[in-house]
Amino acid sequence: MGSKPIEGERKVFMTGNEAVAWAALAAGADIMYGYPITPQNEIMQYWTRLGPKYNKKFLQTEDELSAGFTTIGGVLAGRRAFTATAGPGNVLMQEPMSMAEAMRIPTVVVIQQRGGPSTATVIYSQQEVTLTCFGGNGEGLRVVYSTSSHQDLFDYTIKAFNTAWKYRFPTFVLSDGYQAKMRESVVIYDPEARGIRMVPTEPFLGKAGTPGEDRPAAHLRNTYNIEEELLEVLSKDIEEYERVAPEIIEYDAYNTENADLLVIAHGVVFRSAAMAVKELANQGYKIGYFRPITLRPFPREQLRQAAQQAKQLLVVESAYGQLLKIVQDNLYGLNVPIKTLLRPGVGITPEEIAEKAKALLAGKEA
Amino acid sequence: MGKAVKIALAGEGGQGVQSVAQILTEAAALEGKEILYIPNFGVEQRGGVSIAFVQIGDEKIGAPKFKTGDIVIALSDRAVRRVKMHVGPETIFVYDASIEGVEEDLPANARKILAIPALETANKELHPRVFNVLIMGAVIGATRVVTVEKAKEAIEKKLGYKFEKDPELRELNFKAVEKGIELVERMGVA
Repeated sequence: MGSKPIEGERKVFMTGNEAVAWAALAAGADIMYGYPITPQNEIMQYWTRLGPKYNKKFLQTEDELSAGFTTIGGVLAGRRAFTATAGPGNVLMQEPMSMAEAMRIPTVVVIQQRGGPSTATVIYSQQEVTLTCFGGNGEGLRVVYSTSSHQDLFDYTIKAFNTAWKYRFPTFVLSDGYQAKMRESVVIYDPEARGIRMVPTEPFLGKAGTPGEDRPAAHLRNTYNIEEELLEVLSKDIEEYERVAPEIIEYDAYNTENADLLVIAHGVVFRSAAMAVKELANQGYKIGYFRPITLRPFPREQLRQAAQQAKQLLVVESAYGQLLKIVQDNLYGLNVPIKTLLRPGVGITPEEIAEKAKALLAGKEA
Repeated sequence: MGKAVKIALAGEGGQGVQSVAQILTEAAALEGKEILYIPNFGVEQRGGVSIAFVQIGDEKIGAPKFKTGDIVIALSDRAVRRVKMHVGPETIFVYDASIEGVEEDLPANARKILAIPALETANKELHPRVFNVLIMGAVIGATRVVTVEKAKEAIEKKLGYKFEKDPELRELNFKAVEKGIELVERMGVA
């Protein structure tokens, strides 16, 4: 007990779920709350295996509603708390995360997307984009990082805690069953050794001093009596969300200058897109890619800039148009044609993307 | 696309294809290679066809799944039918010679089709329990994706705790790897 879980850094070969557990440990998370669901189970499994050595806690709740609310409770007590879920569990998770949004509670949730709707498959999809970005009965004032590798999973799980606690918006690490279950190499590290300072946590409730005298009263609300009162709070939150969005936004782009075709993909599908695009670019095609890393807030200006130079766009995702809707919304007013490769609930290979891209570049496909 | 060696390994649940994939990728990790290994999994706890998709190379691996493998191995009749779709003109397709009734289902477009007597060899010359390690030897024989030394080191790492109780098991496993390589070499692939 006591010593750091990771000294310096080391290269390891592990599953994505294991990488998340290590990242939470490295980030100094205090407690995980969770309810089992494939394909995120091993996050809980590894956390409970690794955690006790470092005095970390775990609570298995009766369902995901409870896992979400207890995570909020942990945060209110000043603990760096998190949970993880998938599919139907993510549906239930929206109720507590909506509350976190209302009260500006810095929760961290890791999502390992599986096939939907309902139980569907335990394997993989990108069908939880809309749910994770806009699932609550509110405005989607949350941060959503879409990872595409184990390195991303490790890096962004650590970052999620800092983003959440710095900006006080619920923060999600959106991954999928492939990333959860596959094994690949990843460099795990002590954040401090990389100059990453963890944003300190503090209790929301039970602070020292007399409320109203020594300090303002902690007044956390998710209920309002009059419409205008709600609007006042929401306007302030929305204004703040939009103000900090440029600091949070992240994306990756390649070869976007005057591209004949710009491929847009996120998450694990981005890996296939990048392979296909680089292969075709090497063959002399004017093709590039754009990958939003934050799906909320979305890199709107950066995508618009790349898109308006392109002759046509190709949106690729393992869903039937969830990223597409976000892209269309953010590109409103531009008249660049948007083509699609939509494969709900199944993986997409580089070969499939290359084939589609070639057909579009040759003008063979409308 | 890319230069990684792509391996698809399929068998009945319980035949140990995921264990083979774990040992093989562990060996590759010991050699400092880049690896991506993804098991295919469904809702069933037991039974069904289990597939391991493994890619091993010198650079970071791109996508987790691939359409066409460099080597595709099927260890049961259902597995033959299931992984046929991952065979292309460059693929070496390996299946166990004891599988019956799949003549019609063998891929027509493979570079090479090898029926290896793995099950028979394991049963008669070694022990049924090292059948999967023998298969790993066959993969190594066909691809040279890891060295025999690292394969043995990885076996030691994964099964060492069993060897402590039963040292003969170590020799049996090591022999199985070598035998697997030999079976494929005899067919003139390596």
